Parts: sequence; structure tokens; C-alpha cells
Amino acid sequence: MLVKGRSQKRSDDMADDIQKSKLDALKKTARPCFQCGICTSSCPVFRVAPELNPRVSVDSIITKGEVPREGNEWLCAYCLMCDQRCPMGVSLAEILMEIKNISAREGKAPPDVIESAESLMADGCLSPISSRSDKKRTELGLPDLPKADPADVQKLFKATGAFEVLEINKAAQQEEAAE
Amino acid sequence: MKYAFFPGCTMAYRLPFAEKSVRMIAPKFDIELVDLPFTCCPEPNAIRAMSDDTWITFAARNIALAEKEGLNILTACAGCHESLSLAKHELDASQEKKEMVNGILKNVDVEYKGTSSIIHVHQLLFDEVGIETLSTKVTRPIPIKVVTHSGCHLLRPERILHVDDAEVPVKLDLLCEALGMEPLDYMDKTMCCGAGVRKTNSVTSYAVLREKLTSMDMVEPQAIVVFCPTCFITFESGQRVVNRIFGTNFMFPVFYYTELLALAMGLPDTDLLLDEHRVKIDLPKTKEVQDKAKVDLGDSLASSP
Ligand code: SF4
Ligand code: SF4
Repeated sequence: MLVKGRSQKRSDDMADDIQKSKLDALKKTARPCFQCGICTSSCPVFRVAPELNPRVSVDSIITKGEVPREGNEWLCAYCLMCDQRCPMGVSLAEILMEIKNISAREGKAPPDVIESAESLMADGCLSPISSRSDKKRTELGLPDLPKADPADVQKLFKATGAFEVLEINKAAQQEEAAE
Repeated sequence: MKYAFFPGCTMAYRLPFAEKSVRMIAPKFDIELVDLPFTCCPEPNAIRAMSDDTWITFAARNIALAEKEGLNILTACAGCHESLSLAKHELDASQEKKEMVNGILKNVDVEYKGTSSIIHVHQLLFDEVGIETLSTKVTRPIPIKVVTHSGCHLLRPERILHVDDAEVPVKLDLLCEALGMEPLDYMDKTMCCGAGVRKTNSVTSYAVLREKLTSMDMVEPQAIVVFCPTCFITFESGQRVVNRIFGTNFMFPVFYYTELLALAMGLPDTDLLLDEHRVKIDLPKTKEVQDKAKVDLGDSLASSP
């Protein structure tokens, strides 16, 4: 465990405040829910993995300001079925997206999310560009696609805070590995 | 008509033959495609989940590149389509967000203005070209029974995307019908293919896919037609994984819609596309449409095994 200096502590507190105000805003968007359960009966993930229960998630967000089980948000496929069908216009899909953002800032992003972020930073692209894929493109007579300047990609990555989130998660991963 | 073409990473590097099919049919409808140095859209399940600001800024840069050329964007992947459309929607609705993003984009000499629109090939063919014009180009109808899967991210959120009715999508079915296919209704037509959690929780993801495939299987289609490279890969390769995990026996041929369009138009070199498929299908040979009467009889052709 790192021993934090005073200024680090203060910025942590500030970050906590921001996270808290974000959560309060989320609670507000969830409030119209009257627990009808349409979202649950429409959720493809609930159908096979009932630990993601949209109705219960919304309830838990309203009452406790968190998802029922830590990490539950990462089970959401973002298929937007709950968003489409909620008679009260509550979009659990969007609420969970924000909760994912919050938990990523806390160093709790799953490894594949970190991997995707790293490939965006390295290649500006999430699918691996390999000599095999390039060869296939040539065989098919497809053009070489112009690429973004890697320096620009890096700049945007840093300026939008992604670099920091990545570092937080890498540190968390290392800490976990060390334990 | 000229578009900034946005094939997206998945199509460009994992399903290039689907990209090829879009590039084959485009000129036949007087569509010119321009390539620009886009990055990943970015994909919402990973990048947006990690940092909303990063997601919207990269998306804004992509859109701004097209704006600079005075072009609208043509997407080919449901994920890219949703990502760019949602970002545009947010940016156009909030001056504050737009200023935040433009403040960052200044570092790379781009500015998001909001002048370009974003349409998917699905919309291009159904809304712009239209079934009637499309039908006139069909010279080799394909008499097979299919189920269609438009894809979550083309249908929802319906209030922003307006591609088709999110509860009762019919447009892809009509596009298939125009090529001589018989689209079949099935129970879980609007359900997700499971791709969204494939990497985070693969067993859950394949269980969702198993449910979806089971529902398709009940109506005994000969193939699955999609309009998204991610859905394509999920169905085509994913069904093998489902078989392995759950002991099922799915073996569906899968097509990206414009591959079938290229075939039905009798375009050369479509073998190049079909060679890349992992589950092959012997497409029934039909006579050229010149023999209109005979092909209409083809209805019975389609219904006999
Ligand atoms: S569909 Fe809407 S109102 Fe009904 S339980 Fe879900 S969030 Fe609540
Ligand atoms: S968006 Fe997430 S919570 Fe909502 S229905 Fe889809 S998988 Fe379930």
C-alpha cells in the first residue's frame, strides 16, 4: 500500500467529491422507476445470468447509490433493451455506463477494457492490425486505409484523462498481483 | 453521391471481405467512397465505459475529419454507427460539451461543428436508394430462407438512431426479399447476439448467443443475414464455441447483407467473398431474371427442400 502525501490526499478527496456528485445525479435519473420489472424481463443477460437483474440494480442505485454486487455493471452488454422498454424513461444502460466510468476511475476496470484502451492508444484501433490482415486486404484489392497520426492519438488520449485511468488500473492490477 | 466511408476496425481488419462487398456495390448506385484517417469510432463497451470524455473526443475528431471535407459519413458497422451517432447527438445538444471537446481537439487542429450527418449502409440502401431501384439491379435472385438480425446498435436507442422500428424491425427483411430471399420471423428477433460481454464474461456472452441461435433455429432458416461485422463474427465463429460449451449443433452460414446484394446483382468476383466464409452454403442457382416468369415460379423452388 502506498503512503499518500498530504496533497495527494487532498486531490483524492476532490476526486471522491466528483464521484459522489456523479452518483447523486445518477440516483436522480433512476428515481422515476416504479419497479415494474419490464427491464428485467427484457434483459438478455438476466435471461442467462440472473445476477444481473436490471430492476434490482435500479432499486439499489436509488436506495444505496450503488449496484447490488460489486462489478455487476461490467456484466451489462449495453444492448439498450432496458433503455428501449422502460415505461418511465429510465435508461439503466446509460446509468450503468456511468457507473462503469466511476469504477474504472477507482481502478476496477476489467482486463479486457484495459487492453482495448491500450490498443486504442497504440494503434488508434481496437482490432489488431497484423501482416496477415494487411495481406488479406491486398488480396481482396482493398485500399490501404489512411491512419491517424499516432502523436495526435496520444495527445487526445492524455488530454481526455484516459492515460490517467489506464495508469490507475495498471497500478491496481499490479497491487492485486502482488497480494 | 459521395461519402466519407467509415468501415471501422472490426470490418477493416477482421472482416475485410464484407468491406469489399460494400465497395463492390457502391459504384453501381453512383456512390463514391472517400477514405479518411479515422481512428476507432471508439467502441462504446470498452472505451466509453472507461472514459466518457475519451470516447466523445475521439468520436468528435472522426466526425470533424468528414466535416472538413464537406462529406457525410457512411458507416458499415452497427457499433460504429451507434457510437458516432450518439456522440453527435450529445455534442449537438450541449454547447458546453462541444466547447469542452473542441478545447481538446484544438491540440490536433480539428474542430467539431456538427455539419455532417451519419448514415449506415442499411439506411443508404433502404432509405436513399430504395427497394424499388435496388430490385431493378437484381439479375440473379437468391431463393433461400433467412433470418435477419439488424443488431442492437442499429436499432437502439431508437429515439436517436431512427434506422428501423426497434421492436418490430422489418426493413432488413424487405431488403432480403428484394433479392429473392424469404425472410422468416422468429421469437427473439430484437435480442442481442451477446457480443457486448464476450471479453468480460465469455460464458455469459455465449449463453446469450445460445438463446439467440435457439430462437433462430426454431424456424429452420438456411442462413443468417446481418448488417454488422461484430454480429457476423459472433454468429459465424461464436456458434462453434456455443456448440463446444453447450453441446449444441449450430452450423449456420452467415452473410453481411451487401455480400448477398453483390451476388444477386451478378457482380464479378463474388467468389472472393464466399471463399472467406467458414460455414459454406451451396446457393441454389437461379436462371437470370430475363426469364422473369420462371423465376417467379421460383417461389416453389424456395419452399421445396
Ligand atoms: S422498466 Fe423502468 S420502471 Fe420498470 S423496473 Fe425497469 S427501470 Fe424501473
Ligand atoms: S443494456 Fe445491459 S442491463 Fe440493459 S437490457 Fe441490455 S444487458 Fe441488460
